[in-house]
Amino acid sequence: MNFERIGQYKYRIPREGKMEVDAAFYASERILEDLGAEDYASLQQLANVATLPGIVEPALTMPDVHWGYGFPIGGVAAFDPQRGGVVSPGGVGFDVNCGVRLLTSEIGRGELEGRKSGLADALYEAVPSGMGKGRKDFRLSRKELSEVLVEGPAPLVERGYGDPEDLGRIESGGRLAGADPGAVSERAYERGIPQLGTLGSGNHFLEVQYVDEIYDEEAARAFGLSVGRITVLIHSGSRGLGHQVCQEYVERFLEAAPRYGIELVDRQLAAAPIESPEGDEYLKAMASAANFAFANRQLITHFTRRAFASAGLGQSLAVLYDLAHNNAKFEEHDGRRVLVHRKGATRAFGPEEEELPAEFRFVGQPVLVPGDMGRYSFVLAGTEGAMRETFGSSAHGAGRKMSRRQAKKAARGRNLVREMEERGILVRAAGRATVDEEMSEAYKDAADVIATTHGAGIGRKVARLRPLIVVKG
Amino acid sequence: MARTWLMGFGMVLFRGAMIEMLDHTADVGFELRDPTLEGLFEEARRGLLMVVFERPPEEGGDDREIELSAPDLETLLVRWLNELTYLVQDAGFVPVAAKIRIRRRDGTTPSLEARLSGVPLKLEEYGWQGEIKSATFHGLDVANDDEGWHARVILDV
Repeated sequence: MNFERIGQYKYRIPREGKMEVDAAFYASERILEDLGAEDYASLQQLANVATLPGIVEPALTMPDVHWGYGFPIGGVAAFDPQRGGVVSPGGVGFDVNCGVRLLTSEIGRGELEGRKSGLADALYEAVPSGMGKGRKDFRLSRKELSEVLVEGPAPLVERGYGDPEDLGRIESGGRLAGADPGAVSERAYERGIPQLGTLGSGNHFLEVQYVDEIYDEEAARAFGLSVGRITVLIHSGSRGLGHQVCQEYVERFLEAAPRYGIELVDRQLAAAPIESPEGDEYLKAMASAANFAFANRQLITHFTRRAFASAGLGQSLAVLYDLAHNNAKFEEHDGRRVLVHRKGATRAFGPEEEELPAEFRFVGQPVLVPGDMGRYSFVLAGTEGAMRETFGSSAHGAGRKMSRRQAKKAARGRNLVREMEERGILVRAAGRATVDEEMSEAYKDAADVIATTHGAGIGRKVARLRPLIVVKG
Repeated sequence: MARTWLMGFGMVLFRGAMIEMLDHTADVGFELRDPTLEGLFEEARRGLLMVVFERPPEEGGDDREIELSAPDLETLLVRWLNELTYLVQDAGFVPVAAKIRIRRRDGTTPSLEARLSGVPLKLEEYGWQGEIKSATFHGLDVANDDEGWHARVILDV
């Protein structure tokens, strides 16, 4: 893999072969070593993305880059519709609009201590993984789901599943425009109806945390974060509905790509012009799935609040922000309208961006970066650097370094639930497998990703959060 | 293809068939071998159950029939795996065996008919390992040589 260092944390992959543009990636020395250990497979995937038509220079990966399928995880690619730019369902991913939402509270860590076990049980009960028959206590009709696909969580909030203020704290107001439920198949509906309000499994989680350290007082104040206060981080997506949308459109785009003269170096990158009937239809279906995902995290928020109340912690949990890390959105960058794909990358708008809520517009968008379940997660603020260099994007997590099977092997003979309990973290999970796969050691140290992000100027460190309760599907 | 692709392990040999689990940093995959194309698809079913269950059930009573077609064998394999994933995760039906028939019209547009026997999903009893989002086209390969059919597939989990 041919690349050159162009900054302390930034590297350039010069255009070669079928690449349409240069690519760039962010890495510390350690991250670079990790990339080398997998034969630069992620960087090869990045170079593959750079071959897609109409891509705007550069194709990018964030510091939490790791090997994906098609796009690398941590990939960011903007396409210009005026120059034949494409949309790629695989570049958005199966879990359309998967993302994280952080709830803040006035609850002190000490206040939680005596109620911790009861709260962990209540949360595990309140937020099911969604396998099999899905939620038993909440189900929308087909018509009601159609409304959610167009409007996002707003109809749920109207019915009492949340506070009206929640909606203003969701990326894009919790509603991607242009959704058309007619572009979503019956199978996707069937899968989506019972799974609204469920967590899923794998790396999805609900975590009760406390604010452990503040790095930027001004931004932390604007975000409502102070040391010792309880927060809740929710990570989930569009569940089976989104998976189904992606599956169907990847296949359709595989058939469409040759008709538009698009050569695919990897079939999972199947793409069609943004301005084509296929591109238009996918974007309508994708927006529908995205609105489902926003609504899913809204419903999980509602049931989380109920669980807190039932555990005797009735104080309000406020939404700090809800953001997505798997989607494609029209945005204006450098004076032109482009479609930004973020595959495992967080939108991270800098200060003064119009879409941000007035309360923190002056410090930038809250950027939520989960680490692993045993160590810490971070809150960052979006920067002007990100607006200049990364189409307003930043890291979305720690990034795996062990495969799931390697992690299970490493966990053999250990009781990770007990180990974590001894360190003050209660785990409630559907099975041991998920806990083993998601063990701390399976992930890179999020602190390294954050130091690289902060050092490169594409995110500003605001606060660190440590886990107290982890709920896994 | 990156070297890590080749780090197969957990090989299972059964009547000339083979399932080899592949290591992928973020996801899971398997490589399959079988003397026949139908056998290869049956191995894919077994491989899928090995991914989602620690103790996959092996005997079942209820029957279901599936018919699928696709522009090529790779897409047919993806559709097969996605259909089975849907049955397990959304319909709560675990297919423990499959009688499969694959037709290849003009040698290019294959179709599949399968009679599945299965049991209801029991997460704890079968040792649930976690959800599959989809089979992917990344690095996907279905081909035959002197030794029979082989395939490689990565699943997004």
